Amino acid sequence: MPAVEYRGMTLVIPDNDSEWKEYFAAARAHRLILRACVACGRLRYPPSHGCPWCADLGWTWREVSGRGTIHSYEIVVHAIQPGFRDWAPYPVVLVELDEQRGQPTADEALRIVANLVRPDLRPEAEENVAIGKRVRVVFQDLADQVALPQFTLSDEPPAGRVWRLA
Amino acid sequence: MSGLRNRYCIVGVGETEYSRDSGRTTRAMAVEAIGAAVLDAGLGPGQVDGMLSYQLADSTPAPWVAADLGLRLNFYMDVLGGGSSTEALIGLAMGAIEAGMCETVALFRSMNGYTEVRIGGTGARAAQPVRGLDLAQRPYGMTSAGQNFALTFMRHMYEYGTTSAQVAHVRAAHSRHASQNPKALLKERVTVADVLASRWIVKPLHLLDCCLETDNATCLIVTSAERARDLRQRPVYVMGVAGRVSKPRTDFHWAHGPITRVAGYFARDIVFGQAGVTPEDVDVTGSYDAFTFTTMLQLEEYGFCVKGEGGAYVSSGIIELGGRRPNNTSGGHLCEGYTHGMSMVIENVRQLRGTVDDYCPDGREGKHSYDYAPGRCRQVRDATIAMNMGWASPPTGSALILGR
Repeated sequence: MPAVEYRGMTLVIPDNDSEWKEYFAAARAHRLILRACVACGRLRYPPSHGCPWCADLGWTWREVSGRGTIHSYEIVVHAIQPGFRDWAPYPVVLVELDEQRGQPTADEALRIVANLVRPDLRPEAEENVAIGKRVRVVFQDLADQVALPQFTLSDEPPAGRVWRLA
Repeated sequence: MSGLRNRYCIVGVGETEYSRDSGRTTRAMAVEAIGAAVLDAGLGPGQVDGMLSYQLADSTPAPWVAADLGLRLNFYMDVLGGGSSTEALIGLAMGAIEAGMCETVALFRSMNGYTEVRIGGTGARAAQPVRGLDLAQRPYGMTSAGQNFALTFMRHMYEYGTTSAQVAHVRAAHSRHASQNPKALLKERVTVADVLASRWIVKPLHLLDCCLETDNATCLIVTSAERARDLRQRPVYVMGVAGRVSKPRTDFHWAHGPITRVAGYFARDIVFGQAGVTPEDVDVTGSYDAFTFTTMLQLEEYGFCVKGEGGAYVSSGIIELGGRRPNNTSGGHLCEGYTHGMSMVIENVRQLRGTVDDYCPDGREGKHSYDYAPGRCRQVRDATIAMNMGWASPPTGSALILGR
């Protein structure tokens, strides 16, 4: 069973795992792919087997731009997992992708949890993390067929109000 | 949906000591808590014939403890779950009795939440392989409850201007209540400044915004109103119950916003509809305080204030003893001890009986001073309707309205 060691964790992605295997393999090729419904065409994340909107079971993968906006964030100061202690304080961000924002209803969006990292894949400094800032996907290679999508600050102007916890 | 209103009762409550060093098994603690609840109810040998428990692979199943108590069961089930299980299982107990499967159900939770399996995901839980849906969060260092909920809390601050100082009032209020509770693990009163000065865990949570992992067992006994009449205690009636009500996209609730909305948005009409009352009619609340923020989020979502004004509500004095509608008068998970919700229902049962176990010399017999100074009384005068709001996570929760 393919397994990857990362920060003291064993990430297990079995061959029969049709949710994640191709997602992480595409990330290793530095492409962010999401599930798309073959019936209604809408994208969804995380990878799943039925369409949340039309319940059709047919799906395909589709590449997205990897550009988005920080919708919320947190700063982990006290790391729980031992492998993250040398990384703390580190930011976890909820990124809202540009594709399908506010669709099919105003409160829905493609949102992904990741770390906000610098281009060298170290955690971004806390003072640079804020809701409303623009980000783009980068990839942290872990193994032959596995990379973690991460996000880094982009040079685009912010989308809406920028706010961080003082 | 009011067909079962006031037809079922909680007739017995019991718990072990709250500690961080139980020195015994979850089986031993469960037996003590259930035994105490049976005694409290005044039930005779063999009169409990149903059992429900909830756990996270960290406890002892019902059949083992039933044997210790000399009980032959007509119904039992051990359910996977933590917070929000208590209220949901009270509803399931009513359903099992209504279906004729059994007559009286003991519902328990037993855990060495500090010395064996820690809730925060440290120790044994941190070492488990990461697979399936966990791959969407845990590789990013997002494991514990606080880490899982903090994105919701931070967005609430952004959208509504909620401040750390406002929610710190939840801890201050619950610590005041705990100072009147001989059972409480943390009896010392703390201030808003103490909360803000405590170290960061995961921003926006300080250490004192978080509850404390605890070793304990708790038990409630549910039976029909008809049988309750012959038992020892004044019955406490179930007016309404909602169990594990969920937001859309529970696989990854961030997909369906607003992410500051929690499950109570969908549960409130179910529970208030059954009970036939409104938030204004409720005298005491038990809003699950795994964190200061969870108490605040649920109180606003269930309609005790306007959505977004939870920060103002919890810092207004309303939720303190002596205020209009005290919350978690035992000190709750933040100060009394962490039980995955059961202890807050136990507290509300005692409030409605008028027999809270405070420092009043005859408090357990219903004689209270209503002096809310430290080390004195924590009984709410004439408490008639109480509500519990159970929290599993932002998208899943349960609720219960009790009356006397």
